Amino acid sequence: MAAQTVARRAPRLGNKHVFLPNFTLTLLRTPKLPPTFASFIVPLNLNKLDLRDYLWNCYGVPVRGVRSYIQMQKVRQDKPREKRPFPRKWFRPRSIKKMLVEMDQPFVWPEEPKDYDLWDKVTYDAAQKEREDNETQYRPGARELPSSERGTIAEQAKAYLEAKEKWEAKQEDQWEDVGSAVEVEQDVKI
Amino acid sequence: MSTSTALRPVARQLLRASRTRNIPPTFLLPSLLSGAQQTSPFSSTSSTYYPRDNNRERGVSTQRRTGLRQPVSVSKTPLPKPVLNPEKRSKVEVDPDHGLWQFFHSKDKPMNTPEEDHAHGRPWSVEELRQKSWEDLHSLWWVCCKERNRIVTEAYERKRLNAGYGDAESKEREAMVKITMRAIKQALTERYYSWSDAEELAKTDPEINLSGEGSVYTPKEYAEEDLLEEEEVLGEQEETSPEKNVLLEPEVKSAEKPVVSA
Repeated sequence: MAAQTVARRAPRLGNKHVFLPNFTLTLLRTPKLPPTFASFIVPLNLNKLDLRDYLWNCYGVPVRGVRSYIQMQKVRQDKPREKRPFPRKWFRPRSIKKMLVEMDQPFVWPEEPKDYDLWDKVTYDAAQKEREDNETQYRPGARELPSSERGTIAEQAKAYLEAKEKWEAKQEDQWEDVGSAVEVEQDVKI
Repeated sequence: MSTSTALRPVARQLLRASRTRNIPPTFLLPSLLSGAQQTSPFSSTSSTYYPRDNNRERGVSTQRRTGLRQPVSVSKTPLPKPVLNPEKRSKVEVDPDHGLWQFFHSKDKPMNTPEEDHAHGRPWSVEELRQKSWEDLHSLWWVCCKERNRIVTEAYERKRLNAGYGDAESKEREAMVKITMRAIKQALTERYYSWSDAEELAKTDPEINLSGEGSVYTPKEYAEEDLLEEEEVLGEQEETSPEKNVLLEPEVKSAEKPVVSA
């Protein structure tokens, strides 16, 4: 009897032999879950028992229980990353399988970095904005969109109307006095 | 008992001094009389004998936060309040040897910087891996698996945080790991093919016994081998002599045939 109870306490593992596993697990940050829970994105063909054995054999994490669900993705037109999706060409992205694992010991993710200078976030964001602005120029109906200068023109006009600014003619806008009018062709005999 | 029972309540109302103001006009008297005749109580039991409702929780509501009707033993103990600000919550002590730390390159930040991701070497080549044992190759495969998990986890976190650059570097790193894994598979495949070829050869090799009984490999010594070879050569000569006769027979016959015919 004693041997049986000891055997029951030991982590129950399967005996499926996988020598060269060729998949990846993605650990997810789950701040709203208790720290003894960990969530993973797993391949669709992995089951709960596989994950339990994998985590024990590869990472040495004893697992109390596993919950899993498959998140079906929304139907969309054309394949992902398509800039101009082809209409009526329906496509459903592959479902995502997530598994929630209950562990004995708590685990908390490392904190998010305060600043992203090492990742050069400022340049990254600026480049992304530039790219998006550039893309909008080539979209259908881009010519009907109001120009980006519209806002500043309206501001300027408002300032003139409220007499906050005074309009001054520039040098090239002013008339130049070149003397009296002169007939060009003077020696024409009619 | 001079008046009828139906008339009594009306008469009582009329006689009551306090209700003098509420006395209906006289022309409504017939209707009052008829109404009084039609009334009948739901139950014949007097309402003072039973409470209004049998519900013990009457008036107790969680939505209106009324609390219990009477205090209980824990009423004086103040309830713990949830800490809504996550920064003020007490920190969870994480075991430094927790297995899930292996999903990260470092413990102080959730993902590598592009410089750290870029600082990697070249992949293992097949030429190097051909010299390794199965144990070495297997452990290297698992190292690669863990490294890929690390890269994928950090890439997901980088995308979620919209942290900035680093995607290209992590993809490069993953490519190196994948090349190593492919080299491991190639080395193992080559090994398998050479083993199966050797098995085919062993079936025809007299030194190797594949029946499963006795020793598999019984090498012949050089001295014995030489003797055996000599014997074999002699034996072959003896054996081949009748064969030669057999082969020569038709020739002989053909030589004899004209004689016979003649």
